[in-house]
Amino acid sequence: MDGEKMPAIGIPRAMLYYRYGALWEHFFQSLGLSTVLSPPGSRGILEAGTRLAPDESCLSLKMFMGHVDALVGRCERIFIPRYSNYGYTEFFCTRYEGIYDQARNIFRSSGQRFITCNIDVQNGSPEAKAFEKLGVELGFSPRQSRHAWHEAARALEQQQKTAEHIQKELAGKPGMKVLVAGHSYVLSDPYLGRPILDYLESAGAVSLRADALEPETARKACARFSPTCRWITSEEIVGGVLLWKDRVDGIILVSAFPCGPDSMTNELLIRRLKGKPILTLVLDTQSGMAGVETRIESFLDIIRFQKGEMV
Amino acid sequence: MKQQRKAALPRYGEYNCALKYIVEQGFETRCILPPPLSRHTEDLGARNSPDLVCTPFKTTLGSMIEALEAGADTIIMVHGACRLNYFGELQEQILRDMGYTFDFVNLSLYNTGKKKDILRALKVINPHCSMVKAGKALYEAAQMVEHLDDTTAMYYQNCGFDPSGTYPKIYRKFISDMYAAQSLADIREGYRSACHAFADVTLHKPADPIRIGIIGDYYTVMDPFSNLEIEQKLADMGVEVHRLMNITNDMLRSGEKNKQAKIREFSEYNMGASSTTDIWQAQNFAERGFDGLVQVKSACCMPETDIMPVLANLSRDYAIPVLYLTYDTQTNDVGLMTRLEAFYDMLEMRKKVTP
Repeated sequence: MDGEKMPAIGIPRAMLYYRYGALWEHFFQSLGLSTVLSPPGSRGILEAGTRLAPDESCLSLKMFMGHVDALVGRCERIFIPRYSNYGYTEFFCTRYEGIYDQARNIFRSSGQRFITCNIDVQNGSPEAKAFEKLGVELGFSPRQSRHAWHEAARALEQQQKTAEHIQKELAGKPGMKVLVAGHSYVLSDPYLGRPILDYLESAGAVSLRADALEPETARKACARFSPTCRWITSEEIVGGVLLWKDRVDGIILVSAFPCGPDSMTNELLIRRLKGKPILTLVLDTQSGMAGVETRIESFLDIIRFQKGEMV
Repeated sequence: MKQQRKAALPRYGEYNCALKYIVEQGFETRCILPPPLSRHTEDLGARNSPDLVCTPFKTTLGSMIEALEAGADTIIMVHGACRLNYFGELQEQILRDMGYTFDFVNLSLYNTGKKKDILRALKVINPHCSMVKAGKALYEAAQMVEHLDDTTAMYYQNCGFDPSGTYPKIYRKFISDMYAAQSLADIREGYRSACHAFADVTLHKPADPIRIGIIGDYYTVMDPFSNLEIEQKLADMGVEVHRLMNITNDMLRSGEKNKQAKIREFSEYNMGASSTTDIWQAQNFAERGFDGLVQVKSACCMPETDIMPVLANLSRDYAIPVLYLTYDTQTNDVGLMTRLEAFYDMLEMRKKVTP
């Protein structure tokens, strides 16, 4: 790009972007930095990621590496935060812990610069401090950085409230309701989870999302149900399932192959929740929509049958 | 009066001797030793576990079932930094769904960052247990673990060069001594006699043998059954097998902060669970001029998969070959043997070409 200045920060549109993205974008915006997002998830991006990431890593990580690949050479630095923990009993899947260093190693020969933000309360780096450090590293004063973080945190809270509000409105609608539970980055991804939600809509079911709840409320519900479940994102999903389950007709657990936390929390949900039809869908690099559609279709039939709508 | 508890912990390499020591000497509770791990254990576990969970979950679940069948009425489960933290709760649920009646002490539940809570777990196991005794047993068991790791390291580094075949006998005797130990004196005596016996054996070791460093996930690399005795297999080919990954090096004499600083070029932050230790050990082996590295991990292990790109770069920078091995419940001896033989042949040829 001659003459034109490259955007300062590139953000991969994958993994925790779908959970904390509003926070990051607002943070950089209020510091006046230009940002660029990678294009929406697609088959091409997943294929690029599959080539780059280790074979055995999860589908979401492969997607993530594809997004990073799409940003290489198109921005000054790629922002990959490291989310480790919010305290001794609140932590994240080890994948988010290692993702920054993993990307640095995979793209070592490309010469691309990366920047991180280390959220690790156990080792003395809480979110506020981490973002302050990030701002300072980008050439702003601690005061400016703190201010930007406060604004960004408010924006994220606002976004969550809106999402919950939309859910509540959807829950009031008539018709068959299905709760879709899975990581935000699986469900919101246009290539992975979106087709499932779209198919549900076209089949005449209202789909609610377990991850669109105020996080604190969801996590409290999860702590009562499963006290040693301490992955923050999984807690939010399990809590969401518990809080919505009585208002829906069926639950679909969507997971990416081979998601570590999901492999265990989904099993626990299936074992402990009785009396609700539950469908487990595991997405992998091979999955075409046809197989998934057939399974959802028969699942919806089961619900209709249970409700006595189909004899 | 309530009958005395019969507590059990799932099998974990040979470390059960130390766990048994803590339960018996420290908590003054009877300890049931589950049968050694076998195909049957793994089948039992795999049949009752979710598909996509890592292999150690399945193996430990199988071992718990065998312990319950052997008469245990209390299962104790540990916690850890990865999925291991959640093993206990799900395994308890699975066992209850299978219809077993037992008490479950899930240490993860008491792991809240407050030391007081861990003490509460001890009171659950035995309300009359003395803290002084428990502390003493814990210290002595730590000594036992250090001796065990030391002896194991000594064994695998040398047993491939012992034509008389006395090495395995000494090692087996040492292990059974540790299981039988009742006091610190017993532990020290067992260790001392093993050291003396090892020293008496004449080894036929070449001046510059092939040396292979083994790294890997916490369970699979330390449990000979789970890794299909990879160390013994390599040693039998005439390799000096080194494994730094053990409880002593990772927990008892840790030094984690320094490790992270030393591997900064490859990994700035801890990548989860055992990864910092693993990368540091790989670098350490490479710097000491080892001929090859083997990464041993269970299928679906998250931190070990994440460090694969790091190991690939390390392998390039230090020009050291790495063999990546993934173990699941289907892995069999023959396939592993073929890969190990090919790896060995390659290292041997390489050694001839590059002095």
